[in-house]
Amino acid sequence: MSVQAQENRADLRPDGGPLLEAANVSKVFGGLVAVNDVSFIVPRGGIVSLIGPNGAGKTTFFNCMTGLYKPSTGRVYFDGRNITAKRPDLVTKAGVARTFQNIKLFRTMTAIENVQVGMHGQLRSRVTGMVLRTPFNRREEKAAYAKARELLNVVGLKRHNELAMNLAYGDQRRLEIARALGSEPKLLLLDEPTAGMNPQESDELRRLMEKLRAERGISVLLIEHDMRVVMGVSDRITVLDHGEKIAEGSPQEVRANPRVIEAYLGSQA
Amino acid sequence: MEAASIPETPSAQPPRRFGDVLADNILWVLMLLALVIFFAKDPHQTLDDVKTGLSNGLIWALIALGYTLVYGIIELINFAHGEVFMIGSFVSVSIWQTLNITPDSAILPIIGSILIGLIVSMLASSTLNVMIERVAYKPLRNAPRLAPLITAIGMSFILQNVGLLWRPQPDSSPDLIGSQNDYFHVFGVAIEHSDVFAVIVTVPLLVGLLWFVGQTRYGKAMRATAQDPDAARLMGINVNRTISLTFLLGGLLAGAAGMIYALYNGTIQFNQGFTAGLIAFTAAVMGGIGNLKGAVVGGLIIGVIQSISDTHFGQVWTPAVVFAILILIMVFKPSGLFGEETREG
Amino acid sequence: MSTAVATLRTNATNLRRLLPNWVWGLIFIALAILYPYILDQLLAAPDDLLDASIYTLGLIIMALGLNIVVGFAGLLDLGYVAFYAIGAFVIGWLGSQQFPDVNGGKGIHILTPVKSAFGSDLPGIHVNFFLVIFIAAVFTAIWGVILGAPTLRLRGDYLAIVTLAFGEIVPRVFENSTSGIFGIGHTDFSNGRQGITPIDKINFPWTDTTFRYPLELKPVYYVGLAMVLLVIFLNIRLRDSRLGRAWIAVREDEVAAAAMGVNLVRTKLWAYALGAALGGFAGCFLGTYTNTVNVDQFEFGFSVFILSMVIIGGMGNIWGVILGAIALSMINRYVLKELNGVPEKFGLDFDVTSISFGLYGFFMLVMMVLRPEGLLPSGRRKLELHGEVDESDHIGAESDHELYEVRQQG
Repeated sequence: MSVQAQENRADLRPDGGPLLEAANVSKVFGGLVAVNDVSFIVPRGGIVSLIGPNGAGKTTFFNCMTGLYKPSTGRVYFDGRNITAKRPDLVTKAGVARTFQNIKLFRTMTAIENVQVGMHGQLRSRVTGMVLRTPFNRREEKAAYAKARELLNVVGLKRHNELAMNLAYGDQRRLEIARALGSEPKLLLLDEPTAGMNPQESDELRRLMEKLRAERGISVLLIEHDMRVVMGVSDRITVLDHGEKIAEGSPQEVRANPRVIEAYLGSQA
Repeated sequence: MEAASIPETPSAQPPRRFGDVLADNILWVLMLLALVIFFAKDPHQTLDDVKTGLSNGLIWALIALGYTLVYGIIELINFAHGEVFMIGSFVSVSIWQTLNITPDSAILPIIGSILIGLIVSMLASSTLNVMIERVAYKPLRNAPRLAPLITAIGMSFILQNVGLLWRPQPDSSPDLIGSQNDYFHVFGVAIEHSDVFAVIVTVPLLVGLLWFVGQTRYGKAMRATAQDPDAARLMGINVNRTISLTFLLGGLLAGAAGMIYALYNGTIQFNQGFTAGLIAFTAAVMGGIGNLKGAVVGGLIIGVIQSISDTHFGQVWTPAVVFAILILIMVFKPSGLFGEETREG
Repeated sequence: MSTAVATLRTNATNLRRLLPNWVWGLIFIALAILYPYILDQLLAAPDDLLDASIYTLGLIIMALGLNIVVGFAGLLDLGYVAFYAIGAFVIGWLGSQQFPDVNGGKGIHILTPVKSAFGSDLPGIHVNFFLVIFIAAVFTAIWGVILGAPTLRLRGDYLAIVTLAFGEIVPRVFENSTSGIFGIGHTDFSNGRQGITPIDKINFPWTDTTFRYPLELKPVYYVGLAMVLLVIFLNIRLRDSRLGRAWIAVREDEVAAAAMGVNLVRTKLWAYALGAALGGFAGCFLGTYTNTVNVDQFEFGFSVFILSMVIIGGMGNIWGVILGAIALSMINRYVLKELNGVPEKFGLDFDVTSISFGLYGFFMLVMMVLRPEGLLPSGRRKLELHGEVDESDHIGAESDHELYEVRQQG
């Protein structure tokens, strides 16, 4: 068997096995161990939440998944392929899209343009085609425009031509999701998508995630603090504290887990 | 960057293999190798080059310190610093011209005028540097990083034009120290007045600076602000004053460098700051920007590189050589010799 | 001051909305075509202004080129003069008598006159101008990639310095290549400080008659204008394309752009390549128009000159940059000359034109401090700056959106 195949792990066939697998991932910055030997999976069609007190290493872990950080140890497999430490744009092209905790929209571009950038990896026009506006390019741009509008409607954003920086906070969060959807991901990584939202908006978001799974087969891995959302939407929950996995299981199991309770209450002291 | 091989054992810091250390420092190794080769080919010439280089390098060290001090504290390249150096030269030469001092004057007036030249140019340059900070950088402290860089460039140009208005033609500086005369010989290499002079002026300044930054309250404030301005502010440090102080110190050193350069070089002109600035900046980066002893070491190394290049590649190529080294360092080893391994980039 | 500007901005936008964009475009093109004749009518001695205008056309192309690198992609390039130099030397090599020994002294002639007007041989390499500009563009683009590649992971200040260093090295390499390159070979590539002169005049490929500037300026004006229009067209298409969006995304937030599937390396290299290509394109034109290619033309001050146009015009704003180029070029040419008389009144003895780069310095300083987003009306609103701390490793830039043009909806 070639090294490549060995790397890809024969037991992860594209039509079975987990969509995302993190195996023994650690991330060390100088003296600080931000993520310590964390392993977990996201099953196909699953919605998994990653929770834990602030500073638990959740976003760092996300960054390890998406190639923003190179894990100090461990591997990441997506859809049967080893994506550990791959360049972020390649990770996205493989089918993993993400949003950011501190909204990172392209502020001077409109909502539609933001989504169109999200589609960048899916579009195929070459520079000559762009300059000459060949039929292929025109068709592609038209389709991209239409799809961008569609995605904005899916997330419930109405002001398509508004500059991202002028959108209301809730709309900005929605735009981040629409933009992530632009890359036709199989897996959506959402980093605190409901931060700053009121309960109504959070519920809408919860329904959106379920809709995306049901209608588009998109799996979701989300970092969240809003327990209502977490409990309501997750198939499974993984809990991190101080960079380590301290619990994992169904919402009921995790909710009752004494270590989890302590981690949250203890850290609020 | 594709996936690198990742060790399976989770350790905090994987031990560094010799190969990695070598690759990391390949630039210095190559330079050292070149020096050894040149020495083997012509020991006397190389030693002479080294001496000249170290002597020149002291001037670069003084200017480089100005860059590194400022960068350390506000993470900004003071583009106009070269011009501050140039003004120092101009001021001291003007003083000597006004006092009508020539190499034929009596020894006491000469010493006196050199001292006056030194002090006044240091004062002028330091004041100028502080003013630059107030006018061009302070208002933009919270602006995107692009803005102060552009104002810095603008400031550099404005000052160059001030220099141009002041002295449209290159001007000659009186050779008050008889710079070409030999004092003594070491290993067959002539040590000239200018070399001794450079050392006599520079070393106390360097020692003074290191003492100031390391031992005094003000120096501590500077180091604290460089580490974390917000925390420093919370500790009661007046961050604005500390920044101004940093610029003042950088300016003092640049002014001294300007005076030494005037005596050393014999000629001054309005655009000497541009090239000198880039060379000194290379030295600062080579030493690790933000690192004081790195700036000094970097200055000396650059001086040696220059003189070796002058001899073996010709003076016309030396600036290109120095700039090429600057590029190599910034691309491959931005942390320089003594800097931190930040992905400053 | 900002309310006055805001009113100006709204008035301008309202004015603009009176007619559809393409009509404005046609009006603009028509005016540009009629321009020399308008000058004939208005001025007794139109040639001086026409000459300044032709030179400005070259500068406009360069400003638009730098606008791609600095304005669209957000890569602060302080060494743009290198690309001017490369383009100029290409025509210095392919359009002059610089290589007299080629082809046994008879020279190589591609779509150019084989003999001079007096019937004598024309040694050297002579390729038709309309081929050379594209050769120069491609050649310079390649160098744009070569010089840009090392800078890809550098941030603002460091990027600026490295590009500056390249901008210093390139002209020096040319200057010292009077006997081979780096001492290899014996060909004189640049004629040292004297420069290469004369440079071939433009000729249409289907005829042997060459243009006769500086005596007859209109034909060369139209060639320059055609080049400018082509470049504007290119810029607009790029700006509104997938690549243009990618550039702005990279400028706004590299990390987010990469996470959206943008290949940072490719995107930045395209910016360098196209920006450089335009620099070479224009450099070629200016080389033949000024009839000389001389290293003295290529100094850091020029890079700053072009950068000032981009900044003043509002980085990223195609029309602003064009106006900025025209404004600065004309100021450089005329206002500074007018000021020449002033110093004498004060008994000072110097040439004000040499002050020019100081004035630009002052300009840039003031612009940055007071109105960083440029002078032209744009669709943006001022924002409070935020200093967010991003916990991810930063691959590169932070958002300098304050300074850049916000695209109009469209």
